[in-house]
Amino acid sequence: MSVLPMSKVNIIGLKNDRKKILEYIQKIGILEVKDCQYDAGLENVDTAVAQSKFQKVKDDLLQALNILETYDAEGKSIFYILQGKRTFFRSDYEGLVAKREQIIDVARDVLNLKKQIDDKKMQILKLMDQIDELKPWQDLSIAMNIKGTDKTKVVFGTLSENYTKERITLVLKEAGEKLGADKTVEDLYVDIINTTKVKTHIAVICKKEQLEEVENVLRYIGFIESQIDCDKTPTSKIGELRKKRQEIKSEIYNCEKSIYEAAKFSDDIKFLTDYYTMRIDKYEVIEKLGQSQSTFVLSGFAPTNVVEKLGKALCEKWDVVFEHTVSSEEDNPPILLKNNSISEPLEGVLETFSLPGRGEIDPTVVMSMFYYFLFGIMLSDAGYGVLIVLACSIALWRFPKMGDVMRRALKMYLYCGISTTFWGVMFGGYFGDAVQVISTTFFNKEVVIKPLWFSPMEEPMRMLMFSLLVGIIHLFAGLGMKLYSCIKAGNLKDALYDVIFWYMLVGGAIVFLLTTKMFTDMAGLNFTLSANVGKVAIGFMIVGAIGIILTSGRSSKNPFKRIAKGMYGLYNVTGYLSDILSYSRLLALGLATGVIANVFNKMGSMFGDGILGGIAFALVFALGHTLNIGINLLGAYVHTNRLQFVEFFGKFYEGGGEKFSPFKVDTAYFEIKND
Amino acid sequence: MVIMDNLGIVFALLGAAISALLAGIGSAVGVGMAGEAAAGVVTEEPQKFGKVLILQLLPGTQGIYGLLIAFITLSQIGILGGGNASVSFRAGLLYFVACLPMGFVGLWSAIRQARAAVAGINLVAKRPEQMGKAIIFSAMVETYAILALLISILAIVGIPALGV
Repeated sequence: MSVLPMSKVNIIGLKNDRKKILEYIQKIGILEVKDCQYDAGLENVDTAVAQSKFQKVKDDLLQALNILETYDAEGKSIFYILQGKRTFFRSDYEGLVAKREQIIDVARDVLNLKKQIDDKKMQILKLMDQIDELKPWQDLSIAMNIKGTDKTKVVFGTLSENYTKERITLVLKEAGEKLGADKTVEDLYVDIINTTKVKTHIAVICKKEQLEEVENVLRYIGFIESQIDCDKTPTSKIGELRKKRQEIKSEIYNCEKSIYEAAKFSDDIKFLTDYYTMRIDKYEVIEKLGQSQSTFVLSGFAPTNVVEKLGKALCEKWDVVFEHTVSSEEDNPPILLKNNSISEPLEGVLETFSLPGRGEIDPTVVMSMFYYFLFGIMLSDAGYGVLIVLACSIALWRFPKMGDVMRRALKMYLYCGISTTFWGVMFGGYFGDAVQVISTTFFNKEVVIKPLWFSPMEEPMRMLMFSLLVGIIHLFAGLGMKLYSCIKAGNLKDALYDVIFWYMLVGGAIVFLLTTKMFTDMAGLNFTLSANVGKVAIGFMIVGAIGIILTSGRSSKNPFKRIAKGMYGLYNVTGYLSDILSYSRLLALGLATGVIANVFNKMGSMFGDGILGGIAFALVFALGHTLNIGINLLGAYVHTNRLQFVEFFGKFYEGGGEKFSPFKVDTAYFEIKND
Repeated sequence: MVIMDNLGIVFALLGAAISALLAGIGSAVGVGMAGEAAAGVVTEEPQKFGKVLILQLLPGTQGIYGLLIAFITLSQIGILGGGNASVSFRAGLLYFVACLPMGFVGLWSAIRQARAAVAGINLVAKRPEQMGKAIIFSAMVETYAILALLISILAIVGIPALGV
């Protein structure tokens, strides 16, 4: 359990070796590069232009990959997230790097093809619109751009209602009378081409000289002239458009075929994105170097335990000066944690809170023990626990190369699952009361698996007391962590003032409560400590309280202010009360798992026995318990985190450290191995 | 007094129903609110689906607690499980009162928790590494739902021992 000590490192080398040295450092990945600290005549090189150029190429490659994946989705298994990086041998590396222009061309072709496909799809949409527009005019046997003959005019258009021939004649007549154009209307010829529910498409033929009057009449009855301009009959125009659509479709098909063919390059493209990621990272580092005419200086941090080896390796290979000193707190070194394999999965959880700040200890080990313990009590079902353990271990075993974050999470759930199984056995939960329900429903015999300890559902008060006891232990462990770090830092006074007094006050109060009959009756305890113990406990409490009043305002010089602050410090004892009560969630969440599991079992058993009943039970059982595991896994995760972050960390831990992020090969798809 | 005695079970069931109703409504509203915010984030960044989903589900627990109280009440008064316990008027009222904390606190806390969850979802949209803290802000609210659940459970489980 510890924060690894860091060393400050300065490497001074020749510019000619810069590329090689940086690549070597990137490959071993144990050095975090910081801005160079020497400024005597050294210059920084601005690499922003090169970086953005590479970023552009990388973006193109990623986009092309995205396109290839949408067209070639079947190759992807649902477990791809677990598969992790593939291995790539260094001997193939140079060959692919040499081919990079070619691969980039493939990727840009893919982007181009995709763009063409999108354009063509737009064209098809336009064609479809045109076809839809022409469809009502299909019965017309002349081209629609015909304006008329020597003596007549033709107008095409729509009326915005469903008309019959008789009704149109009637409406036209009325309009003609109103506008004083009855004669003109009589000479009109109207033909209905097509009717729909809301529209009537008509052709109107009139004498040339009457056109203006006819237009007035038509406008009056709500006629809109068609805007279609085509020199063929509608039917043949539609045929032509359909043919064109077919052609574009086959062009799209060809483009898609080319994309499918490019899919065989997708591994190369992935490799190349990794390659550009590495180059961008390298240029970012180059920006931080201090450079003179022919030398460069690299400053950074590396874990102290490997720093000697790093220096030796560098000095053997190149002419470099390698300085290193163990960093002090003032340097604000980045944080790298080192823990045993059982606690290590929780480093991720700690990171979501905050890494240890200046001079703080690494709480991972103590936290991990409580984490698994509390998580198990909250879920507390042996059936669920075994399922979680199986799922996590199978995933860990089948996919050995998965990413670090995933592996940590699965390992954490594996240990949580073991704890869940343990508490399930203690409290008698096996998929809720599934054993009992199945045996009574299908075999007419009641089989009950007795809890090894007690059943929280039957004795909730006992479970509540146990939960609060766990809480007190957890909180006192938090105070203990503070004690440890105070002593380690040599602040014995702080240890006494901030920890021992609180132990006396809170511990004394708890012991005193146990001597009062009222409390033990309420808590259902079958013992009461003797009154003499109570007197001693009160003594401890008073000493603790006075100590806190006198010392917790010790940062102020003014004695009145000091006492006032001390009184406020004592007020924090209410915080302990709510902290302890907060652990009642162990009872509530444990009961929630059990009761909901029982509800599903009961629902399943309502279909009775027999084969059909069995099938129905199996279905309800599978669905219900999957749901219950999901909900309660989330609940247990969230509330275990809360107890750790708020109650436990509140006693001693602030965090604020910066994560150690070494300059390394940070690829997404491949890891490169020397063969 | 016969009528009064018959009313016992009605009040007990009313309590169970109120607990499931109010807490369920709270969670439904809450999960809905958080879901809207989560969908907004996913339109921009689909890869954050897993993160915002967890935050969306947080206000959902109150509904489950309400169900839990309703279920315990139903099995205590013999509606579930086929027991034939007769519920006196007094006991019925006691069950009713015992269910109230979960119902009311469940309703309000789910909605307030949802607002914290929505804020958390916005936080995750901008700074995904702060996920742990976003969860904690929302989970702080749930403490009070858990305390209400606790009181309701203890009261309901304690009523038969009173012998009323």
